[in-house]
Amino acid sequence: MNPINDLLRILSDFVAGIIGSIFSFSPFLADLVTMGLAALILCTFAALSFMGLTYVERKVVARIQDRLGPNQAGPLGLLQPLADGIKMFTKEDTTPANADRWVYNLAPLVIAIFALTTYAVLPFAPGVVGTNLNVGAFYLIAIGSGSIVAILMAGWGSNNKYALLGAFRTVAQLVGYEVPMLLNVLPVVMMAGSMSLVDIIHKQTTLDGNPGIPFIVFFPLSALVFLISGIAETGRSPFDLLEAESEIVAGFHVEYSGMKFALFFLGEYVNALAVAFVFSTFFLGGYAGPILPPYIWLLLKAAFIFFIFMWLRGTLPRIRIDQMHNLNWKFFVPVSIVHLVVVMVLMKLFVTSPAQAQAVGGILVTPIAQAVILFIASMTILLVSLAIAAQRARALRLQEEAILERRRAENLAAVGA
Amino acid sequence: MTVQQVLFIVISLAVLGAALFVVTTRNLFRAALMMILAFFGIAGLFVLLEIGLFAVAQVLIYIGAISILVIFAVMLTRGMQGMVPRNSQAVGAAVTAAIIFAVLLLILGPLRVTVDLARWPVISLFAGNASPREVGGIAWTPANQAIPPVPETYISDFGRALVDLNQYLLPFLLIAFLVDVVLAGAIFIARQRRPAEVIEERQLRAEEDAEEAEAMRRASAPSALPEGAVASAADH
Amino acid sequence: MRTDFAFVGVMLVTAALLMGVALIAAALLRPKKPNKAKLATYECGMETVGDTWVQFRVQYYVLALVFVVFDIEAILLFPIAVAFNSLTFFAVANVALFIVVLLIALLYAWRKGALDWE
Repeated sequence: MNPINDLLRILSDFVAGIIGSIFSFSPFLADLVTMGLAALILCTFAALSFMGLTYVERKVVARIQDRLGPNQAGPLGLLQPLADGIKMFTKEDTTPANADRWVYNLAPLVIAIFALTTYAVLPFAPGVVGTNLNVGAFYLIAIGSGSIVAILMAGWGSNNKYALLGAFRTVAQLVGYEVPMLLNVLPVVMMAGSMSLVDIIHKQTTLDGNPGIPFIVFFPLSALVFLISGIAETGRSPFDLLEAESEIVAGFHVEYSGMKFALFFLGEYVNALAVAFVFSTFFLGGYAGPILPPYIWLLLKAAFIFFIFMWLRGTLPRIRIDQMHNLNWKFFVPVSIVHLVVVMVLMKLFVTSPAQAQAVGGILVTPIAQAVILFIASMTILLVSLAIAAQRARALRLQEEAILERRRAENLAAVGA
Repeated sequence: MTVQQVLFIVISLAVLGAALFVVTTRNLFRAALMMILAFFGIAGLFVLLEIGLFAVAQVLIYIGAISILVIFAVMLTRGMQGMVPRNSQAVGAAVTAAIIFAVLLLILGPLRVTVDLARWPVISLFAGNASPREVGGIAWTPANQAIPPVPETYISDFGRALVDLNQYLLPFLLIAFLVDVVLAGAIFIARQRRPAEVIEERQLRAEEDAEEAEAMRRASAPSALPEGAVASAADH
Repeated sequence: MRTDFAFVGVMLVTAALLMGVALIAAALLRPKKPNKAKLATYECGMETVGDTWVQFRVQYYVLALVFVVFDIEAILLFPIAVAFNSLTFFAVANVALFIVVLLIALLYAWRKGALDWE
């Protein structure tokens, strides 16, 4: 598929040349316009993929639930996103009476903007990246946490008790699941020695003499916890307590309709796709792969992860809010911390480069041996913690059943006697 | 005027304007939002200083965590809407501010800060014939008065410095302990116990209920009941 | 380094413009027929009573505070992770001490029930 690569390169050089010649009086403006064009392409890609993803999600979830999904609008329902788009544009927008106008109107815009700016640092192919920030991994998480305030804006600006309550709960959930994400990106950064996403991918490919092992082999526990935290961060099922219609009536965006609601929706899907891309970059090796061109590999991996998201949505029931918080603070965070400390110690004990062994000491092993050691350690921690959690859960359940039995016996005795 | 200078002016105006709005507005929630805008501006200033790490850290901590904390604290105060803040210390505050300003002028005056419009906002300290000083390991002579550029490896340098015994190891460990203490204090304050009377009252009521239930049972069913049932009723 | 973040700024502006265009287009295309029932605050079909103020439980604040603690820890750990390959054993032991101290903070919060029932 190299001709396509070459064609794209020729095209981009051509466009850059045109812009350079138009703005030859000011190289700064030329740079700016090129960057603007690249940003426009990225935003359009995100928006188009949002439309495609809504359709794919509805179809896949429908099939899991043994039904057909959208099949009325156009052949196989393929024009459904278009129909949804037209609906979003033409629906009336009822602003509630005492809502704070500025805050109410700005909130969906801020969420959509933050969701879209995560695509600025994702590497799509070698050399095709919006900007190779040397704090890329950090930046992704910061953007994720920056969009949390917009939810509070939406909840407060709606002047609605339920919206406010939903906003509080949503923020508590999002803020809680940031912590395992942070703690589990750390082993990846330690292994790659850099926060730049391009460097992280390089460490997982066979460039620079690396053995080309994706980080999911090194840190399966980190990958699992990061994936689940990512699902919780985007508010998808089974963590969608906050927008379930039967619960708190759509949560913080209950007073929004039309385009503003569409922006919330877009933010959620764009975020989910970004999590899929980020997971592929951190743990699956990004655009690296043997035969197919790089961007096809990245899209395949991200599509696989997104399919797992849809699979979970169609299969699992909604998780209760206290279960969700317990899972986060009492399972994910302690396990992530223990895993981090163990990984640190092991990575210092077993080093792979002779220069490092000489400088700071440690046992020299081959990269594959280090991968095996870390894999075994990670899986051991995962299985042990799962066993402990299962045992605690069983003990708790038996205790609850014993109390229920006793109460039932008392009630019978009190009534029957 | 280079682009950086224009950007610096714009961002500084935004930050100052937002800060002014925060202290003068009556709507607490809008004040919190303007504070977030000020934080963004400060992150932009860090970017202008070429320290991307601090810019992103600013967004993560201040906007992602502390702003949420502040907004939650604002929500905790009742009657947030329609509050009329009154300031009875305005005169005293103005006098104190004027005194501090005068003192600062006296201290910083002799420094003879010269502003070179071509390189502004990089200002030159210790201009003229001031004696060279040592600041941060760099000898500031009148010759090299520009701020040295941030090295490419500043992130790993910072990381190494954090755990270096001769540099920032002690503050690093102290941060952990300080944050521990802060968390313990906040949890202790937030878990206010009800007054002891309420607890006692509840206990009394529970005992009375248990006695009543037992008396009823003894009157209607003389057959022996398992001890466990009665004891657990008293427990509840 | 500065130009890296310049792209982020450009991306922010572009996204804002794009979404703004979508909003303006929607504002031009949609009907505007407000009436009293539509403008009322939504409360599952009932009329609202009292002003908008909810019982704000203190647990939200404590959870946010625990998050701030771990956020600060993560910020300090990221540069250390970047510099990890050149650290000595002594340095790694200190980092482990730092992390363990914060784990103790979490366990204290757990025991005191600050992490319970949301």
